[in-house]
Amino acid sequence: MSGTEAVVEIEALVKRYGQVEAVRGIDLHVLRGEVFGFLGPNGAGKSTTIRCLLGLLRPTAGRITAFGLDATRDGVALRRRLAYVPGELRLPERISGLDLIASIGRLRGGFDAARRDGLAERLQLDLRRPLRDLSSGNRRKVALILAFLSDADLLVLDEPTSGLDPLMQHEFLSLVREAQAAGSTIFLSSHVMSEVQHAADRVAVLRAGRIVALGTVPELRGRTRLRVDIVFDGVAPEAELAVLPGIVDPRVEDRRFTASLAGSIQPLIEVLARHRVTSMLVEEPDLEEAFLDLYGGSAA
Amino acid sequence: MSRLLELVAGPLRAMRRGVFWWSVGLAGLVAVTVAFWPAFRGSSGITDAIEQLPAGVIQAFGLANFGTPAGFLRGNLYELFVPLLFAAAAIALVNGQTAGEEAGGRLELLFAQPLDRREVVLGRAFAVLLALAVITIATALTQIVMDAVADLAIDTGRLLSTILLCALLGALHGSLAVAIAGLRARPSLVLGLGLGLALAGYIVAALFPLSDVLDPFRHLSPWDWAFGGNPLEMPTEPWRYASLALPAVLLTLVGVEAIRRRDVAAG
Repeated sequence: MSGTEAVVEIEALVKRYGQVEAVRGIDLHVLRGEVFGFLGPNGAGKSTTIRCLLGLLRPTAGRITAFGLDATRDGVALRRRLAYVPGELRLPERISGLDLIASIGRLRGGFDAARRDGLAERLQLDLRRPLRDLSSGNRRKVALILAFLSDADLLVLDEPTSGLDPLMQHEFLSLVREAQAAGSTIFLSSHVMSEVQHAADRVAVLRAGRIVALGTVPELRGRTRLRVDIVFDGVAPEAELAVLPGIVDPRVEDRRFTASLAGSIQPLIEVLARHRVTSMLVEEPDLEEAFLDLYGGSAA
Repeated sequence: MSRLLELVAGPLRAMRRGVFWWSVGLAGLVAVTVAFWPAFRGSSGITDAIEQLPAGVIQAFGLANFGTPAGFLRGNLYELFVPLLFAAAAIALVNGQTAGEEAGGRLELLFAQPLDRREVVLGRAFAVLLALAVITIATALTQIVMDAVADLAIDTGRLLSTILLCALLGALHGSLAVAIAGLRARPSLVLGLGLGLALAGYIVAALFPLSDVLDPFRHLSPWDWAFGGNPLEMPTEPWRYASLALPAVLLTLVGVEAIRRRDVAAG
């Protein structure tokens, strides 16, 4: 689905606020037509990078361009091809969603009303209500409708599903796939792995202003640790389990075995097949847990 | 075209409630104050009492000729309150449309559109100017009507000049607020510095003449440029309007250019 032509090019980007270095030299390319996940804990520099891309912040050093347009110098032309959902979303309070969409529409050359209503229906949102009466999730839906309405070549979505219920998160992922199928490139920032893993073609993991991992979702998932919690019918076969490749921090309490697993799960499955298991829980750690654990030392 | 219109109409819609209340407040102040004139005219007690005050106090509070219609209006309205309220209205409206919105994170979505930030701020400055025009018209109409009702018999042209000078002084302080908000997105700074400088300007114009040493410096104050010619009683020289309008244009341009050169505040 994605080409090889870079839509967003970030080179040696540094952003400093006084003594604080929020972004410490980021290099990355987002390819045309891909969904690019931008992951990291809060304060990692994701929103700062995005706000540099939008021309809201001026980089201290380095370069950030989209479609060959410099974010600071050619901001207006760049933003004509871009739609954005802010992470810290603040909307005017007294007007309705319809009014806001109409107002932004006048600034962007008009929106298709039928499409607007279709999006509102899919996201189950009443656009006639004043924005101050909406929950944070519903306000985010207004911003999402604005972004998907604008037919932008590049969608920059900062924490787009925070506050949305699971059903709406699913609908959001459908909208992302449709936009991608229509040729848009999507830059999807989140601190939650699950938010991007179903949609993203490639993911960059950010920590303390630096990229600590970059690859496809399967590649990155292979580098994170799974949490394993198994209860056996009899005493846990500790000797067999503890020596498995990738097992970290194994613990046995009578019939129960817990550990972290880095790498393939196949050897573990083979051991389990030889024993009677009464319950088994294998879960992906959340992003903070996984990546802070893996990259904490090298990235600090 | 609809894009540029929206950059002015949007802020105007957001300000309509504020503009209504500032208009009601100023018009109400003028109406109530002038309504007291007929009762005042007949009593010599107050004017006699004022004449007993030290000359400095009379000068500082604009109480000279308090017994005449022009003196009454100047002392009660146009020496301090009306111009100060115009300045406060302009500063508050500008602050609400610029630094207040930006610090609250509500300009983020707007600045993410294909717009130059300068257009956005210029549109908002122009919207505040239109809002000031509405407040000015409400104040002027009330003053003219009350002039007839209370039989003040002050020339309408002089009244309009005085109110226009108040409005321009307000616009100058509004443009100062644009400049401050352009440099820093801090609402408390815009309000504090804006109102502080407005009051300082009044003090310089009103109190410096009491001292022979300080007197020449009163010409530093925009209040002196506006009202130094006694506009209620004397024709206003055209340069007085220009002395307020031109710096207002310059300060607005400073604010508009400054916001382009800095980071947008995060909400």
